[in-house]
Amino acid sequence: MRLSRDGIGGLVVFAGSLILIGMTLGLKDSPLVPIGPGFYPRIVLGLSAVLGFAMFVNDWLDLRNAAAPATSAAREGPPLNYRLVAVMFGVFALYAVSLPFVGFRIATFAYVAATNALLSPPAEPKHWARVLTLALTTAFLTHLLFERYLSVLLPRGRWTAF
Amino acid sequence: MFELLGDGIVNILQWKYLIPLAIGSLVGVVGGALPGITITMTVIVVLPFTFGLEPLQGLSAMIGVYVGGETGGLITSCLLGIPGKPSAVATTFDGFPMAKKGEPGRALWLGIWASIFGGLLGAVVLVGATGPLAKMALEFGPWEYFSLFVLALSMVAGLVEASLVKGLVAGAIGLIITVLGNDPVMGKPRLTLGIEFLEGGVPFLPVLIGVFAFAQLMSEVERMGGGRTALQAVDKAVSLAVSHFKVIGEILARPVLLLWSSFIGLVIGVLPAIGGSAANMLAYDQAKKFSKHPEKFGTGIPEGIISSESSNNANVAGSLVTIMAFGIPGDAVTAVMLGALTIHGIQSGPLFILQNPVLAYGMFAAYIVAHALVLIILWVGVRWMLRIVAVPKAALFPVVLVLCVVGAYALNNTVDNIYVLLVSGIFGYGMVKFGFPLAPFILGVILGDQIEINLVRAIMTDSNPWLFLTRPISGGLLIASVLSVALAVWQHRRQQKRGRAQAEDDADF
Repeated sequence: MRLSRDGIGGLVVFAGSLILIGMTLGLKDSPLVPIGPGFYPRIVLGLSAVLGFAMFVNDWLDLRNAAAPATSAAREGPPLNYRLVAVMFGVFALYAVSLPFVGFRIATFAYVAATNALLSPPAEPKHWARVLTLALTTAFLTHLLFERYLSVLLPRGRWTAF
Repeated sequence: MFELLGDGIVNILQWKYLIPLAIGSLVGVVGGALPGITITMTVIVVLPFTFGLEPLQGLSAMIGVYVGGETGGLITSCLLGIPGKPSAVATTFDGFPMAKKGEPGRALWLGIWASIFGGLLGAVVLVGATGPLAKMALEFGPWEYFSLFVLALSMVAGLVEASLVKGLVAGAIGLIITVLGNDPVMGKPRLTLGIEFLEGGVPFLPVLIGVFAFAQLMSEVERMGGGRTALQAVDKAVSLAVSHFKVIGEILARPVLLLWSSFIGLVIGVLPAIGGSAANMLAYDQAKKFSKHPEKFGTGIPEGIISSESSNNANVAGSLVTIMAFGIPGDAVTAVMLGALTIHGIQSGPLFILQNPVLAYGMFAAYIVAHALVLIILWVGVRWMLRIVAVPKAALFPVVLVLCVVGAYALNNTVDNIYVLLVSGIFGYGMVKFGFPLAPFILGVILGDQIEINLVRAIMTDSNPWLFLTRPISGGLLIASVLSVALAVWQHRRQQKRGRAQAEDDADF
């Protein structure tokens, strides 16, 4: 069975909704409220299951009725850099995880430097200087502005107390 | 009303409100002018700065961003041929050709003045209609609210460019996010998936920030090859000098166009979560249809610029009407504003104006004054804007994401919000790649709790489910939802038929 992204997306929504509906079956009704906590989620999840299934069926029928086998249409322009996207998400995840351990300033400095260097790889020492300046300025300026002037507390590092 | 508005203007002209409004307007103009950075993104960046401010200061800054962003988007549209934001796409069609013909100043200032006029026409409706609409909404019971929210969701799902089913699925996914965690009526835990953090439910603002920020930035990142990505060099020698009287005269000589385009912008703004990107295209299309010389559109004529720019600024007023009268965000920007109101402990909805008249009229005043500030900013610094938009994205993106982290973290000082931001970011990017529209998803996340609360309240008040249909307003709203879905299905089928006919015609050749 051939499926496009729509079909796969529909199946994921359908399966996810069914799993969650199964989880709502164990919810007990409250004696004070005649409508239990599972009433509304079941409506929503039922709706999403139906819609997900409709998406899957639509896609399956579209592909079946297509005269010629669907080929991936050539996208205009250069190929998309999904590897860079994955790396960017990875670096951001590291940033998020490191924040409570090393604190806002150090984590932000490292994150901005890494992201900037990844998006625009420095080739010369002056480019590196620019990367480090941007990282340092962002980390300390945001900290100064939010903590000192806007009374917004930023994460402190468990390891660094900084 | 006029007395309150006068007080609001006097209030907003105090330095403590004027400064955040001016800074917001400046940031909005820059954010609007930067291709790849939308107004939603800009207002998300500004959000954490408002946490330490008074509510009116914070909201003024956000209104400044909104008005400034809608106007700023036309700078690159006219001078570079690259729309600064989706709501300035139609401005490019005639703005850039006019600039290329040697009249960049005329193109730019036609757009700026049309934006100001459109925005101020929107202000008339904003100030005049919000109060009466809120009073009307006060008559609503849980049945009417439930039906209103269902209508909002179905309209958004139906009006998005992707398929109707995808729009509805996106809205349903948004609703699913809100059923995770305690139920809002009795506070009983449900579907927490064993995660302690989820017992309090999923906070909507980190979801909104994550979805929009990552979906947009990563879509830009995937086109980057690792090299520097500055904008094309701008001809700094280009003259932007123009006779303002002549430009204003050109706009006012087309009163019907100005009024009709502003009206379209307003109506699109009032409809939930559609936004300026639809308003400017629709207004441009209407201007072309009603024109005596439609063939000239796209060659650099003033009508194209006036229609697009007056509609997208009037759209801001429409969005503000919806959020202030009904508590429903007119688009993603007002969704962030809704979050800012919640952070300050202010309940949006029909009681908002009655309970917070100073704040409400302060917001009206901020909207009006923002137009004057944007005009001054552009008068003084339009040439500087051309240099600012050449900032490399490699430097801009990490800074924007750091501000998103601050915004998510500072909501209740928990790192868990940053994890929600990351997960939402991956989810939002995935949705974009699978072709799901984000607007219905976000509206689902925002309205989910309210839909549930009103549904349960209605059934607990009277268990007769037919009341949803037999109460006139509720029934009317539900019929309107069914009609909006039916209309979307009909439009979709018509488009498919046209597509097939076109394909057959092409095949004949």
